[in-house]
Amino acid sequence: MTLNAIYRSFNLSSKVIQPFSVQCSQIHTSPSKLAWQNEDRSTKKWLKYNEKMYPPQGPDEEPRPAFVCHQRTNIKYSPWKMWYVACLIRGMPVDEAIKQLKFVLKKGAKDVREVLEEAKVMAAKEHNVEFPSNMWVAESFVGKGTVIKGIRRHARARFGTVEYFHCHYFVKLEEGKPPKHYYQPSKEPKEQLEDWLSQMRRRKITSSL
Amino acid sequence: MALRVTNTIGLRLLQEVTQGFLAPVAVTANTQIVRHRRTKHWNPKWKLFRRLKVMPVELPKFHEKVEDMTDEELRLRLKKQGILPPRPWVERQFFIHSTGGVFEPYVPPEGDGKVSPVSKQGAMQSLQFLGKKSKTMMAIRKIRQYEEEFDSPSFCKEASKIYIKMHELMMDKDNEDIIDVVTERAYPEVIHNIKNKTIHWKFIKDIELPRIVQARCTDIITKENIFAQITVRFHTQQTLAIYDRFGRLMHGSEIIAKDVLEYVVFEKNVSNEYGTWRVHSKIIPDWLPPKEPSQLTYKKKKEVPVEEKKDEKVAQIAAGSKVVEQSKAGEKLVTQ
Repeated sequence: MTLNAIYRSFNLSSKVIQPFSVQCSQIHTSPSKLAWQNEDRSTKKWLKYNEKMYPPQGPDEEPRPAFVCHQRTNIKYSPWKMWYVACLIRGMPVDEAIKQLKFVLKKGAKDVREVLEEAKVMAAKEHNVEFPSNMWVAESFVGKGTVIKGIRRHARARFGTVEYFHCHYFVKLEEGKPPKHYYQPSKEPKEQLEDWLSQMRRRKITSSL
Repeated sequence: MALRVTNTIGLRLLQEVTQGFLAPVAVTANTQIVRHRRTKHWNPKWKLFRRLKVMPVELPKFHEKVEDMTDEELRLRLKKQGILPPRPWVERQFFIHSTGGVFEPYVPPEGDGKVSPVSKQGAMQSLQFLGKKSKTMMAIRKIRQYEEEFDSPSFCKEASKIYIKMHELMMDKDNEDIIDVVTERAYPEVIHNIKNKTIHWKFIKDIELPRIVQARCTDIITKENIFAQITVRFHTQQTLAIYDRFGRLMHGSEIIAKDVLEYVVFEKNVSNEYGTWRVHSKIIPDWLPPKEPSQLTYKKKKEVPVEEKKDEKVAQIAAGSKVVEQSKAGEKLVTQ
């Protein structure tokens, strides 16, 4: 009789019988100042997208483009500085993004490049992408990670806090060619004029004919 | 106050002037341009005192891996934190419910399923099969000691039921119930094969009735703890379509039925009162050519404009020969 069968025959929920390690993880043994800290709090969701299954397609349907989500958490870099790196590569083909990042003189660019390279490998190995170079950066954004606080001495027996920031970096690569415009392009002057005219004509003038 | 303001302005002007003077010279002389920080005191003697104002904080190392650390480093780290090294846990429970491999794996005859028994090669094979039967008979006799109503035709029926049940559970991705039909050795393989995939499998019919080709018994730890392994030959017709995570067809087809010849090893802990027959392994012979990975990309053929009637006829004949080839190729060992 398997363990599994025993569980079911006694109708025990999985909460009662757990591996020792799981039980241990629920007992709070660390100092109470760490009680609020949960490193993975904001980063657990992103990788869940990699487990999503889509229903099978018929032969006449257009094949769904593959995508892969990847992240790196708690990089010792300012989230506000990392934003510039993340924005730069949005809507670029992966190889182009990696090439561009090699010329970015920011500390975070190295981490972003590594994440992209890891994501490429993941896509080919686990997600049935034949040519990982044929992917583009569909999403690229930054999250705020753990902040460690330190103390700095000021004059007259005062003190200030020093914040040591960490950041998370998230990326989603999608198969295929990138779209022509990643952001909504601004309208042509002629179109703008037309919009304005139509808006003017549509307005209601009260007490008029 | 006024003095201080003039002082600072004067200082700034001085610095800027000097930089302006030096800049063209520095470029021509190929020396490095020094950037002056104006937010700090110009005298470096305050540098140390500025540093002393900040209380040092040890930041957590998030990307440190225990695997990469040497034993000495680990020991030092534990000592620093005042933690005793984990005690090696020697006592360990063992529950042997299946063996770790296939003992004396059956070697399928070459060209099985393609050669007719009437031919010379086929006759040779059946003769060899008879010769090797004594060990199998002994093993079956041993199984009968524990399982009195063991009978090979009824076992084959049960085996095919288990075989179909396994594939159905694989389709449903039932990781919990699948252990009832698959041994602990095969479980990780099965789970790995269904990960990130959607499987559509259909059993159509038996081409030949499943039959026992080999049976073996072995004991583990004690003499009485006996495991039996039976290799069953399945020659069936099935359809198989495997889709990836995004629903794109990876392998096979929903409609094309294929003849599948498989040698499946079933195992049971016969001396265990509650033992059941479960799928243990599949036998993939050495002589089988390695399977090519399924291809996604293909070259689009150029459409040749048909002008003459002769060409059409040639094309038809070529297509006919291809169909024949396909039907020949269809009867080969398919291993999933």
